[in-house]
Amino acid sequence: MSVDEAAAVKEKENQENNWDDYLQAYYEKPASTRTWSGYEVKEIYTPEDRASENYKEKIGDAGEYPFTRGLHRNMFRGRYWTRREVVGIGSPADTHERAAYCFKNGGTGLNTIADVTYEMGLDADHPWAQNEVGLTGVNISHIKDMETLVGDIPLDKVSWSLITASTAAAPTMAQYVAVSRNKGYDISRLRGSIQNDPIHFRYCGFRPACPLDLSVKLGSDVMEFCTREMPKWYYTTVNMYDLREQGITAPQEIAYGFGIAMCYIDELIRRGLHIDEFAPRFTFYVSCHIDIFEEIAKIRAARRMWAKLMKEKYGARDPRSMHFRFAVHTAGCSLIPQQPLNNLVRIAYEALAAVLAGVQSLHCCSYDEPMCLPTEKGHLQALRTQQILAYETGVTNVSDPFGGSYYVESLTDKMEEEALRYMEEVDGVGGMEEAIRTEWLDRRFETEAVKRQKEVDNLDKLVVGVNIFTTEEEKTTPLGVQRIPEHSAKSQIEGVRKLRMSRDKWKLNEAIKKLREAAAEGRNTIPAMIEATQAMATTGELLGTVREVFGYSYDPLNIIESPFH
Amino acid sequence: MSKEKIKVIISKVGLDGHDRGAKVVAFLLREAGMEVVYLGMYQTPESIVKAAIDEDADVIGLSYLSGEHLVFTPLIVKEMKEKGLDDVLFVAGGSFPPEDIPMMRAMGIDEVFRGGSLTEDFVSYIRNHVGKKGAE
Repeated sequence: MSVDEAAAVKEKENQENNWDDYLQAYYEKPASTRTWSGYEVKEIYTPEDRASENYKEKIGDAGEYPFTRGLHRNMFRGRYWTRREVVGIGSPADTHERAAYCFKNGGTGLNTIADVTYEMGLDADHPWAQNEVGLTGVNISHIKDMETLVGDIPLDKVSWSLITASTAAAPTMAQYVAVSRNKGYDISRLRGSIQNDPIHFRYCGFRPACPLDLSVKLGSDVMEFCTREMPKWYYTTVNMYDLREQGITAPQEIAYGFGIAMCYIDELIRRGLHIDEFAPRFTFYVSCHIDIFEEIAKIRAARRMWAKLMKEKYGARDPRSMHFRFAVHTAGCSLIPQQPLNNLVRIAYEALAAVLAGVQSLHCCSYDEPMCLPTEKGHLQALRTQQILAYETGVTNVSDPFGGSYYVESLTDKMEEEALRYMEEVDGVGGMEEAIRTEWLDRRFETEAVKRQKEVDNLDKLVVGVNIFTTEEEKTTPLGVQRIPEHSAKSQIEGVRKLRMSRDKWKLNEAIKKLREAAAEGRNTIPAMIEATQAMATTGELLGTVREVFGYSYDPLNIIESPFH
Repeated sequence: MSKEKIKVIISKVGLDGHDRGAKVVAFLLREAGMEVVYLGMYQTPESIVKAAIDEDADVIGLSYLSGEHLVFTPLIVKEMKEKGLDDVLFVAGGSFPPEDIPMMRAMGIDEVFRGGSLTEDFVSYIRNHVGKKGAE
């Protein structure tokens, strides 16, 4: 081979192996120096940035106002965060089984989620529910379904998070209380939470079930009832997470979440409650997206802002009223079906950010979230992700490890500044209720969601498997696919039909009449809902009765009519 | 194509409330020069097919994110066949396992785009396949 020929062969090999690409990759620099939410950051932060000036007033130790650094001085030394995986699948019996599985494998909090039919306030035998019962969670149509869901779980020992967000949260609370009382528990000792944030849920597809006035009314009824009767219960989890999943940025998540939270607070104050009576049981659901530092800064900013808001705007004096206590749901919308095992890594980073930010309770997504409901193996892997974080990595040793970091303190200030700007913008359109009523907030979500897609299209945001390092799509899901047993829905539909035939009609009618009166006279509806639940009223009947009093159709979808006229 | 613009119906079906993707896709298709009729949530197979007929649509785009794809796909395809929409392209987007994609195709869906799809993917698919369904 001549020298020329050898050179030609080498050149050809070079081209085939793309060695130039390797060289280029070796010297590659990040194309973007912005945070996920689009804020330009500097290459280094120094004492010159002065973000940690006025330490006591602006930052404070963990456990001290304004709680930037955390709610408790000893944080996880006092108690680990609650490892609480969301479960909701098929029938109440299926859901009980999976929840028990998570408990058996080291989950420390129960967390059951309603399906679309239950959130819409439909019983399992509603013509629109029959196709979809149990596909995305669990439907509780009546007290017996709740009894099956609870099963042998000792309600005085566990902390149960009931994820019903829509106006159906009122029946959920009534059903849980009714079952607890029937089993002989003292409800004032029950620990747990209910999501109960119907205002936000209009943005998750449940608008027919969540008209604004009814959302404020029933949401606040649950809050007021729990404040008076269940002092250990967290009566709302204002869902900033779901708002974030619409495509908005980190500071928008704070601003719009706080805006919705204030709608409930204003209503509770109108009802004559003092802020320090109820605020200590107010909680939030927060997203942790993929930008680790921005998410930590967002949560630190939210803690400081909430403390100031409660103290300065609402006159709270009890420090517990100023606590921004929150659960984190790692960002479902950051997960993709391409190269699905990579989602495990994304979830782990997001969970790390949540813990470094001082989370109270954590749900890690399962890696199969973009494909199907979690399989048992998917759930287990999510739990194990939390356990590795808790037991192996040393992150539990010290409170707010990033406190005093020039960068994180600066970014925390930035998040606060931007969130305040967005809150002022909402004030400018007439406040949150007005922003919702005029669909100003809808337009904002839509605009942001389109921006997010364009960022990925234009390579402004890089996602492995989507716009870089792409491969041919997998033909199978690595740990299998979760299917919903067909008989689950059938038996549940059968169950509610049987109940309708067998219950004491007189007792039921009396209970429904009482509920109607309570709603019409502006009284809290929860006691009457509990009684009606014990008289075998269904979810659809409880909600339908109150809806009619407010001038809405009995059935949110306006297909079936009230049987009580 | 006799018409100037490709006309697309974008819809949700049943109770699934995840409408972020459907709205974004509707916006991006419009931006790509297509005419989009966004039906929104709580549609039925009948209401979707009726809209496609009334609007003389070239494409029906369904968004599935609540595990309802295997329930509603056959119902929509049946309704399309009954109403004679043989050359209307039927595409779906959303969250479903790869194992279901061959099933969805067998049921009569022409193409699927899951999360992580780029705008170019679905815009060019529609441009290249619209009006050719009968000919394939």
